[in-house]
Amino acid sequence: MTQVKLIGAWFGGVLLIAGAVGILESGAADVFLEATRPDFQKISLGVAGIQNGGGPDWLGGRIEEVLKKDVKRSLVFDLVDLASLGIKTPDIGNGMGAGSKAVFKQAAEKGVSVLVWGKAGLKEADKEADVNMEGFVYDSGSDEVVGGKRYAGSPSVVRLMAHRFADELVFRYTGEPGIARTKIAYVAEQGTARELFVMDYDGYDARQLTADGFLNLMPQWSPDRRFLVFTAYRNRNTQDIDMIELATGKRWTVISLGGLNITPALSPDGNFLAFASSHEGNSELYRLDTRTKAIQRLTVNPSGDLSPSWSPNGRELVFVSDRGGGPQLFLMGSDGSNVRRLTFEGDYNAAPVWSPRGNWIAYVCRTHKEYKLCVISPDGQKRMQLTTGPGVDDSPSWSPDGRHLVFSSTADGKSHIYMIDADGKDIERLTFQGTHNSAPSWSPAS
Amino acid sequence: MNKTLCTCSLVLVMGMALIGMPGCSKKSVQSGGDSQSTQGMAKGGSSDSSKSGVGSFPDTGVQPGDGGLRGLDKNPSEERVGSGTMLAKVDPSSSAGRQMDEFRAEAALQDVFFAYDSWTIPEDGRQALSRDAEWLKSNSSALVKVEGHCDERGTSAYNLVLGEKRAKAARNYLVELGVGANRLSVVSYGKERPSCKEHAESCYQQNRRGHLVVKTGK
Repeated sequence: MTQVKLIGAWFGGVLLIAGAVGILESGAADVFLEATRPDFQKISLGVAGIQNGGGPDWLGGRIEEVLKKDVKRSLVFDLVDLASLGIKTPDIGNGMGAGSKAVFKQAAEKGVSVLVWGKAGLKEADKEADVNMEGFVYDSGSDEVVGGKRYAGSPSVVRLMAHRFADELVFRYTGEPGIARTKIAYVAEQGTARELFVMDYDGYDARQLTADGFLNLMPQWSPDRRFLVFTAYRNRNTQDIDMIELATGKRWTVISLGGLNITPALSPDGNFLAFASSHEGNSELYRLDTRTKAIQRLTVNPSGDLSPSWSPNGRELVFVSDRGGGPQLFLMGSDGSNVRRLTFEGDYNAAPVWSPRGNWIAYVCRTHKEYKLCVISPDGQKRMQLTTGPGVDDSPSWSPDGRHLVFSSTADGKSHIYMIDADGKDIERLTFQGTHNSAPSWSPAS
Repeated sequence: MNKTLCTCSLVLVMGMALIGMPGCSKKSVQSGGDSQSTQGMAKGGSSDSSKSGVGSFPDTGVQPGDGGLRGLDKNPSEERVGSGTMLAKVDPSSSAGRQMDEFRAEAALQDVFFAYDSWTIPEDGRQALSRDAEWLKSNSSALVKVEGHCDERGTSAYNLVLGEKRAKAARNYLVELGVGANRLSVVSYGKERPSCKEHAESCYQQNRRGHLVVKTGK
């Protein structure tokens, strides 16, 4: 299972994945990325401080704190504590200068691969003005300052500067865009209503998107991050699938067939919307061709079919069906062909989500009467339970790098949103406000 | 560059940009690269769906990009950091215009309660529905909505399906008892509108229900 976070996690991995492009185009199964590097070690990285470059005292500390958490969450780097290694960094603020050579030497000797430092201040120290941030990177492998970044922006984007720098570090060492600037859409309770919100991937800066005073449920991102599709109730009565444009707040109905219309999921190319609808009786799966508006029925079964999730190449769907009694996961071609059951363990398996690398499907599994997170490989050969203990876990959603999941849980009483590493380690709670937060959906990377 | 390919994994995009494959090469990004392109905005998204039940649909596919990152530079020039994904301020008036039908609880109408994971109407539920059917017969103009509810266990999505099964089971039983099907509508609220919010079976019991409400007004 530790393989999950290793895949493609360094430059060699990128070459390996790029080499698999031909396979992708030829239509092989989604499990082709299973090739991993069991010898992968996280890259040790130390943050030698973001110094005060003329501004409020909190500024550098804030950026350093956000940056360190991003570095840790990247799972690409191993964040080392420089002080505990005996590396003193008082002069690193002038890291491009000769005075920092001694620090670089020490870092290299102690096995620190990457040293990061910087400076942050107000552009004009005497005024409330733009924030300036500089960050630099020393690489002990090549024994040089490999480069840096200079950012400017309003004080309201200080956290985003740190996120952006963290993503540059991930990009430098993996070729991936990083996840520090991704967002999480979710549902928050307001009285008896449930409204859509979007927050930063670390739980900060939550913004409300809907305010109709009724139920807005289970948002999913469009591949281009500009829209959410979700279930809403017209006239408090009829369930529809709505779409909202984040930049404008414009909202409209895309599916209005009558009956239950739930669990919308856009294909990776945006050309199809898969969803469940009961307008012909019981809940069945359909797909809308978003260009022609043609709707194709995918399942024909007297039981309930729901919760479709696309494979990353768009050729297959995993979904839930209770055709065998309780809910179980099934796979089929995205045209409804070749249906086969995926889960056999336990009597309740639901809410599947296919990982962006294709090699795992996360879902909610019931064990010992508790609803927990599990992952299973698309060939059904490997299965693992990720969470344990009390509380109802629900609505897993993958980070775009496939190294994390976000989900809701009542483990602490009220339903809140949590992040967990894909190997089941390091659970982090993301929401602390409100009475009920649920149905998180992780945005694609920018 | 094939759209599908680009969206399959951004790793692919970045990886190919690195090794110089065509189509996904880096392009200069203005304004810190976090602001979203406005190309391909919703093509006339209207607030009402068409009669076919399908509304307008924008292009949501991913255009080839570089994630907005420009890489480290030995002499970095200043990048302006924007506010990230553009988010509109919520406009309550845009939603306030959404018409809401009004329903009222009727003291004489009794809820039907279900067992865990079940949509079979138990004996006491049949008795409750029999009394509800009598009320409906003596209030022959009343339109009733049957709401299906679930307790918090299980997934949101599956509970919506379960809630619909419960609502339909209750409706079908009322129809068997002679209530006109055209007077009965069903809706599922899954586990999203619980009447009781404690994490205990005593509470779960109250939430696994078919709840009857009467339409008011027109």
